[in-house]
Amino acid sequence: MTENQQKLIDELVNKGLDGDMDAVNAHQDRMVRAKAKSMIMKIQKGILKRPPLKKISPGEDPNGDIVQNQEKKENEQESTSAKVVRKLLEKFPNEIENEEFDTHIQLKPDKWFEIATWLKSEPELFFDSLQCQMGIDVQDDILESRYNLHSMKHNHYVELRIAVPRSNAKIPSVEKVWRVADWFERETYDMLGIEYIGHSDLRRILLPDDWEGWPLRKDYQEQETYHGIIVPKMKEGWE
Amino acid sequence: MGVVHGEEMVLNIGPQHPATHGVLRLQVRTDGEVVSKITPYMGYLHRCFEKHCENVTYEQVIPFTDRCDYLASMSMNFGYVVAMERLMDIKVNERVEYIRIIMAELQRIASHLLCTGVFGLDLGAFTPFLWALRDRERILDLFELTCGARLLYNYMWVGGLSHDLPVGFVESTFKFLDYFEPKIDELENILAHNKILVERSADIGVMPKDIAISYGVTGPNLRASGVKWDLRKDDPYSIYDRFEFDVPIGQGLKGTVGDCWDRFYVRILEIRESVKIVRQALASIPKDGDVHQSLPKKIRPPKGSVYARTETPRGDLGYYIESDGSPIPYRLKMRSPAFTALSVLDEIGGGWLLSDVLAILGSLDIVLGEIDR
Repeated sequence: MTENQQKLIDELVNKGLDGDMDAVNAHQDRMVRAKAKSMIMKIQKGILKRPPLKKISPGEDPNGDIVQNQEKKENEQESTSAKVVRKLLEKFPNEIENEEFDTHIQLKPDKWFEIATWLKSEPELFFDSLQCQMGIDVQDDILESRYNLHSMKHNHYVELRIAVPRSNAKIPSVEKVWRVADWFERETYDMLGIEYIGHSDLRRILLPDDWEGWPLRKDYQEQETYHGIIVPKMKEGWE
Repeated sequence: MGVVHGEEMVLNIGPQHPATHGVLRLQVRTDGEVVSKITPYMGYLHRCFEKHCENVTYEQVIPFTDRCDYLASMSMNFGYVVAMERLMDIKVNERVEYIRIIMAELQRIASHLLCTGVFGLDLGAFTPFLWALRDRERILDLFELTCGARLLYNYMWVGGLSHDLPVGFVESTFKFLDYFEPKIDELENILAHNKILVERSADIGVMPKDIAISYGVTGPNLRASGVKWDLRKDDPYSIYDRFEFDVPIGQGLKGTVGDCWDRFYVRILEIRESVKIVRQALASIPKDGDVHQSLPKKIRPPKGSVYARTETPRGDLGYYIESDGSPIPYRLKMRSPAFTALSVLDEIGGGWLLSDVLAILGSLDIVLGEIDR
């Protein structure tokens, strides 16, 4: 697709979103029409972001006011992550690391326990249930701990991520906030070796206590033998 | 009489013990018969599910999910394909959705039948266990008719199903439901209102609402504590929003809300609701539609991650899939409902007699394959 076509589609999409669907329907090229329509659908579903608006000098475009009004409306129905981010920035400035919050919020590890306590107690958010906690080995020597939170009362979700370097893989434990984190954190410790500070009973949970290494790290090497039993090597692919 | 000193004793139940429903070891600290602390040790059945998934392609993960919860394989398949389809943005046709719902609900009936039967067995009632297994057998026959397997089906695929329904499936299922519905009353009468079972389970192992939510307990166990929360209603996936059914919750009919009896009785009520759903789905299933229509040629999800939950017989099953754009999952995490249900055992089991602990464990309905993965 040429750049010109993309620009054309962006323009049509913006027109369509502002209520002028006739402009989209009247376009002659079928492909451009279809692409613009599917893009509008995706933006309305919230999968895609709206293309940047052309800069309009004031007084030139009569539709300018309407655009501004619509933006206001979108702000009113903000997504859960946007809401959490807004409140988080008020309460704990300097704790958020990422800039786009479509899917998740990236936090710094230091104040995680305080943030977690606040997330659970803040009446407007009230994340009373930790749905899932998992660890992941992302590239460049970074381990990440991810939390899927859910509020039974408000029925909204948010995903939080905390990244730590391998050399200092320490994250405050939230076992005291959500009791389910007790076993989840033990499992993540078992599989990835992330240490949860303040956990009351940080032992391996699925593997034997004297197992060596952290199996779900990407550079994991199986130990040769375990109590005299030969450990089978992982096969490459499937035969 | 002078001061009587209690003496603490550590007792191991399992790993090989009929009451632990698999290979689970409970280290129990007791004073006489009163249990003061329970420490579960698991991992005896750990088969490195998540590590294996990082070495096989996305479609090859499905047979592994079967083997996690071997009593509800259809539901495990269902959760995985829902997550994958959300990640890849695939829409399957109506017939596939209906067949999936029918299978998942039949599976729920089968799993709850086994749970209630075994719960009776734990408390010394042998007959209802055989009755429950007899009826479960009929459901397994239906599954065998559909995909050839009785326990591990590998039936739901990403974007479709492995087989269409066989000829005569709808009629046989209706016939089964007609046969089965009176049997639920029979099972309820012999078990639920049996004086011995009520004495052994009512008011025992009470799980309050807030404890249940904080421990991440979900599914029938959470509903027995009086929380009306069912993913099929509150966050509908697939086409569950089209069916009419109730979400039964524990009411403390024989004792307190959230006791063992409630957890057991909620399952019997859920069997009835599942029957309702299966009947509606069978009546309105579309005649045409190719179950292989939306199967992707090559499964290569875009870069990104997804967390999808579904309601299995044991609770919220979550799959967290991280994709790096290759045909092999970068990381796959299963959030298993029985894992979190077992973690609450120490909290609600402390202070009860040893025999009550086994009743509490039976009422939580754990499957070790899913806990150890």
